[in-house]
Amino acid sequence: MDDAAKQAFNQGNLRANAAYAAAKRNLTIDPVTRLEGHGKIDIYLDNQGDVERAYFQVPELRGFEVFSLGRPAEDMPQITSRICGVCPTAHHMAATKALDALYQIEPTPAGRKIRELVYHTFMLEDHALHVFILGGPDFIVGPEAPPAERNIVGVIGKVGIDAGKRVIATRRRLRELIAYFGGKVVHPVLGQPGGVSKALKKEDLPKFQELAQDAVGFAEWTLQVFRQIVLGNPEYVKLITSDAYTHKTCYMGMVDEQNRVSFYDGMLRVVDCEGREVCKFAPKDYRQYIAEHVEPWSYMKFTFLKQRGWQEFVEGPQTGIYAVGPLARLNAADGMATPRAQAAYAQFFQTLGGRPVHHTLANHWARVIEMLQAAERIVELTNDPEITSPEVRRIPTATPAEGMGVVEAPRGTLFHHYQTDSRGLITMANMVVATGNNAARIAMSVEKAAKGLIKGGHVSAGLLNKIEMAFRAYDPCLGCATHTLPGHTPLMVSIFDHHHLLLRELSQE
Amino acid sequence: MPDSTPAILVLGLGNDILTDDAVGLHVVRTVREHLAREPDIEVKATTEMGLALLDEIAGRESVVLVDAVQTGQAAPGHVHELGPDDLAKVLTTSPHFLGVGETITLGMMLGLPMPQHVRIFAIEVKDPFTLGTQMTPAVEQAVGAAAARVVVRARELASAVGRAGAVAG
Repeated sequence: MDDAAKQAFNQGNLRANAAYAAAKRNLTIDPVTRLEGHGKIDIYLDNQGDVERAYFQVPELRGFEVFSLGRPAEDMPQITSRICGVCPTAHHMAATKALDALYQIEPTPAGRKIRELVYHTFMLEDHALHVFILGGPDFIVGPEAPPAERNIVGVIGKVGIDAGKRVIATRRRLRELIAYFGGKVVHPVLGQPGGVSKALKKEDLPKFQELAQDAVGFAEWTLQVFRQIVLGNPEYVKLITSDAYTHKTCYMGMVDEQNRVSFYDGMLRVVDCEGREVCKFAPKDYRQYIAEHVEPWSYMKFTFLKQRGWQEFVEGPQTGIYAVGPLARLNAADGMATPRAQAAYAQFFQTLGGRPVHHTLANHWARVIEMLQAAERIVELTNDPEITSPEVRRIPTATPAEGMGVVEAPRGTLFHHYQTDSRGLITMANMVVATGNNAARIAMSVEKAAKGLIKGGHVSAGLLNKIEMAFRAYDPCLGCATHTLPGHTPLMVSIFDHHHLLLRELSQE
Repeated sequence: MPDSTPAILVLGLGNDILTDDAVGLHVVRTVREHLAREPDIEVKATTEMGLALLDEIAGRESVVLVDAVQTGQAAPGHVHELGPDDLAKVLTTSPHFLGVGETITLGMMLGLPMPQHVRIFAIEVKDPFTLGTQMTPAVEQAVGAAAARVVVRARELASAVGRAGAVAG
């Protein structure tokens, strides 16, 4: 927004905050401390006590640009991978690709293949984590089960101990592969402009080929578990296809030259709610296609399709709101890039009535299909003779100035954008995380849930649970510290009256 | 697990570029200096998360964890000392540590040897969400005292190694 608008907005906010502070003393509020780093949901009621508007705020990591200023751009793959303990490899790879662009250099073929090998291993491992630990508890154990059972322990209770051991052991082996190339999973030293830092030795290849085969078996087994336990249960299917979790927005995902789902590299493609291509662009041209809207009375930014303009939180054929993530990727592409995944993709759309699918909870199923592609790709790469080539890096010679790197992180499209001086020191650093792209649709999901459960100022029981279900399906990144145990979505819900004064706060871990 | 694995693990958790979130790492750095010659105690720092905790604690008799926490109900620098089941009661909205009890149950389900005793030192912090390598003053000043308490607890647990009815955890 421009300076005059910004000033007006800030002054309005200051007045509002002062009014709130004055009025707060007279209101009964649940004594909850407002904390950062949580999913924050603000619900505004109209003068009838019904929901007028609801927002989901992505807590922003503070100080990213300031922290990066003056640092060598070549440090960014390590720095950004340390910010997010859930997606370190995604940030590492986006940063590495930004360095390629910055130094106007492409990786060597073997360098690119090693990057892809590590990246697909990470996608598989992270998706597995989500299926069994984050999303799994809702679906494998059941959304109606008591909270004490809705965790990995409950999941293992359902699938059996041997199955549980298989999940844990497979994840460990996948992380070992990543560590082979990058040293440490959370602080990898893998990506360089022009390639990678370490080659794959021929004598080490057989164990990775074996892991690759096991990975495909593991992904197929996960799909089977999902089909049996989730799709085999009509209650779950009803929940997945229920209107409460359905929105007709656009979808954005990365695709290869044949418009098949791609995680590491490609063009960005957007389809509308009827599946027609709206635009397809190179990631570096992102700003020509995606714009940001700042909503008054909040600190939230929502991305939308520039060519459609901002039209408030509406869905339908003209909407400029788009989603990213596993479901969006499957919707935006014409198919998967590997055979087993493609078969699963076809079955997915056949079961759910054709492409695009608008049920947010179908993200869980799409995630399992992506696990298959990741595993199959690992097999392809470990069987590629070039993977053991020692030519894993070329040295850049260009003077750096600006570069953008984009990958599909597990949760959706991730952008890193840097500018440097001629010595390669950062003068500007910005990133848009997956959840930033999903913010508008998440807000719509939250609003829909809230509208059903808050009437005449009365809040129904189960509001938090319903909102959390919708929220969790997007698997939002909350910028938490690296050692957060997965499985917990700290949520803070604030309800405001039509004067924007705080009425109630609800929270859960 | 090899027999030479020290029975007591002191593990600092944190992120060294997220301001106060580094406190667990700083505390164990000090702790390590004091416990360097204790054969039964290993002191480690990690920025890993989640299931990696399982790998770290498996095979240990006792574990002492050190991390940042934000309850909003104590002054920054305050040291909460807890058992794994105390956490849910004290920590209303912090995302840290909520899974320690769960992790141990998981480990037991998977047939891994889980520690008998777990103590958690959770240091109240002011800002674990801004990028930076410098902690806020109150948290910085709490490191020494927190480390001293961790050392005392670790030594107590070490002196009870192999004995029945060891220090309650």
